Amino acid sequence: MNLSRCFSRVKGIALLAALLLTGCAALQETPPLTIQSLGPDTISPQSSLKAPVVWRAEATGGVPPLSYEFLCEDSNGPALRQQGLSSAWPWWPGRAGTYRIKVVVRDRIGNTVQSPWSPEFEITRPLIAVLPLQNLSRTKAPLAMIRTEIISRLKGAGFDLVADPDLQRFMARHRMRKVSGINGFLAEKLKEATGAEALLITTLELYDEQPPLKIALLCRLVSLAQSPEILWVDSVGLAGDDSPGLLGLGLIEEPEAMRSEALEGLVASLTRSLAGTQKPRFLPGKFMPKMTHGPQEDKLWQGKARVAVPPFYNVSDRKYGGEIMALHFLEALQESGRFTVVEPGVVHDELLRFRIIMDHGISIPQAEAMFSSFDADFVLSGKVFDYQDTKGHWGVPMVDFSAEMFDNQNRQLVWTSKSYNGGSDRVFFFDWGRITTASSMAAQMTRAIIGFLAQ
Amino acid sequence: MAAAGPRPLANDVNIIEGGIDVRFAKVIMLSVIVALAAGCSLSPRTYHDQNMDFSIIQTVAVLPFANLTSHKNAEDRVRDVFMNMLLSTGGVYVLPAGEVARGISRSQIADGAAPAVEEIKKLGAVLGTDAVITGVLKEYGEVRSGTAAANVVSLSLQLMEVETGRVVWVGASTKGGISTKDRLLGGGGQPMNTITEEAVSELIKMLFKG
Repeated sequence: MNLSRCFSRVKGIALLAALLLTGCAALQETPPLTIQSLGPDTISPQSSLKAPVVWRAEATGGVPPLSYEFLCEDSNGPALRQQGLSSAWPWWPGRAGTYRIKVVVRDRIGNTVQSPWSPEFEITRPLIAVLPLQNLSRTKAPLAMIRTEIISRLKGAGFDLVADPDLQRFMARHRMRKVSGINGFLAEKLKEATGAEALLITTLELYDEQPPLKIALLCRLVSLAQSPEILWVDSVGLAGDDSPGLLGLGLIEEPEAMRSEALEGLVASLTRSLAGTQKPRFLPGKFMPKMTHGPQEDKLWQGKARVAVPPFYNVSDRKYGGEIMALHFLEALQESGRFTVVEPGVVHDELLRFRIIMDHGISIPQAEAMFSSFDADFVLSGKVFDYQDTKGHWGVPMVDFSAEMFDNQNRQLVWTSKSYNGGSDRVFFFDWGRITTASSMAAQMTRAIIGFLAQ
Repeated sequence: MAAAGPRPLANDVNIIEGGIDVRFAKVIMLSVIVALAAGCSLSPRTYHDQNMDFSIIQTVAVLPFANLTSHKNAEDRVRDVFMNMLLSTGGVYVLPAGEVARGISRSQIADGAAPAVEEIKKLGAVLGTDAVITGVLKEYGEVRSGTAAANVVSLSLQLMEVETGRVVWVGASTKGGISTKDRLLGGGGQPMNTITEEAVSELIKMLFKG
């Protein structure tokens, strides 16, 4: 009995010793943690418009999993920018300057190695051309003044801008009268002539100096290349009585103050976007489409889809309602991060080239022409039935439209939706939640649709 | 203190002065009400061709509706709601409005809202559709009666198969209008979009019922 117990104890000890030895052997066999490489996916210098620059670190050895800390040094000193298991860091420098990057790698048991600081990586300020404003407001508006204010704010935010005489000379030489967008040919020429990397296109959607003051602007930044890409887009719609506050102290009664608030928001949004710090916006539940048709189970696309958005068919009394709605959809699509949108200037040129006149919407042959021209996965269009802003203090804005999306694969409608809302739809008591411009409402309605579609 | 009178017998309660049984009177009244109500009730305003196999209809073109109202573009609004709702059912594929407009133009149909049989056949060939739907918008907008006002929509539709140009389904729906509540309490009835959706929804139910 004792002999057998003793024997089993010996066996147990032997097993434990074997296990420990195996562990030690494993430890001994683990190669030391080393960083093989650290580098960006593009060469220095780069414009801040080309962001993100992806830095990749390659480490070997150590006990997995390995964690990576990316440090970035600029004129303010080093700062930790990303920490985690990912060996890649998409870097949005945001502003011009000279940077150095370092990576610190740790393994599971605390071994740590760090790379030396990388050679200096230079980020240059993008040179931007600011086009004269497109006026879809149907009213006389101080377009030149608004443009001057935009330029001044952009300069204040640290952007380099193309000098006005250079831009005017270019526009005169190329007889460029259209300011609603740009095609590939002109984009390349503009880049050659001025050295600009991007073009800021601004559309004035609403301007009213009668109380309450109203302004609505749509702005987008387009890269100047053979195939212009939309880098950023945003809109703002404000009324002087949006936040009247206590005893009306919050009322905006000066047009300059109103313009200033609108432009401040837009320039801040552009700066955030280029710095990669733009936060995703919430999906406005009240503005969900009233009815939709789309695939129930299958996903319409994988990754990022390319979409062309021609002007909507306008049945409303609002002049340019179709163009404005298309721009709001463009904004929502681009903002979702799931789509690449074809620059409207390119779409406009192709529609002219193919002599496409959309009678009551897009026909299949027209959609086919657009698919082949833009190499698009989808064409999104629709009809606008109401796009009403109010005059004075009374009434609420109304927006009513339907959207349809054609699929390149089977040349059919794969998505339709119908939306209508009024500015008081979100109001529960008093005027809390009231929306005062059709532009703000359209932006939220399109965001709701695209958010719903992207999900 | 009031003196309590003699309590009537149960039989006395059921007899009125003329000698008619109250229960009997109630039955007669109820019968009259039922008969009147039956007379007032609407017969289903729909027609289905019993010889038609509706399952073969996979693609439909909705032609522009005729507008008999004074509201500009009302037919476009109602047609858009109808096309969206019909497509949402998943039962049939509805051709996009732009494609239908192209078909009408290529088929040289003079009046897209009321095509002739030959035109329907031609349109079917051009668009590759199984059936076409035409519609007439009879009422759209506000109606008034005295001081009361409410929105109303009235729409009738026809489904025609393109091989023969035969009408295989007809339906009509009216929604909204001034209710007794509106007359008594005021109020402007339901929003136009809501009643349009109700009317279209009823028509689609009628269409798929057959």
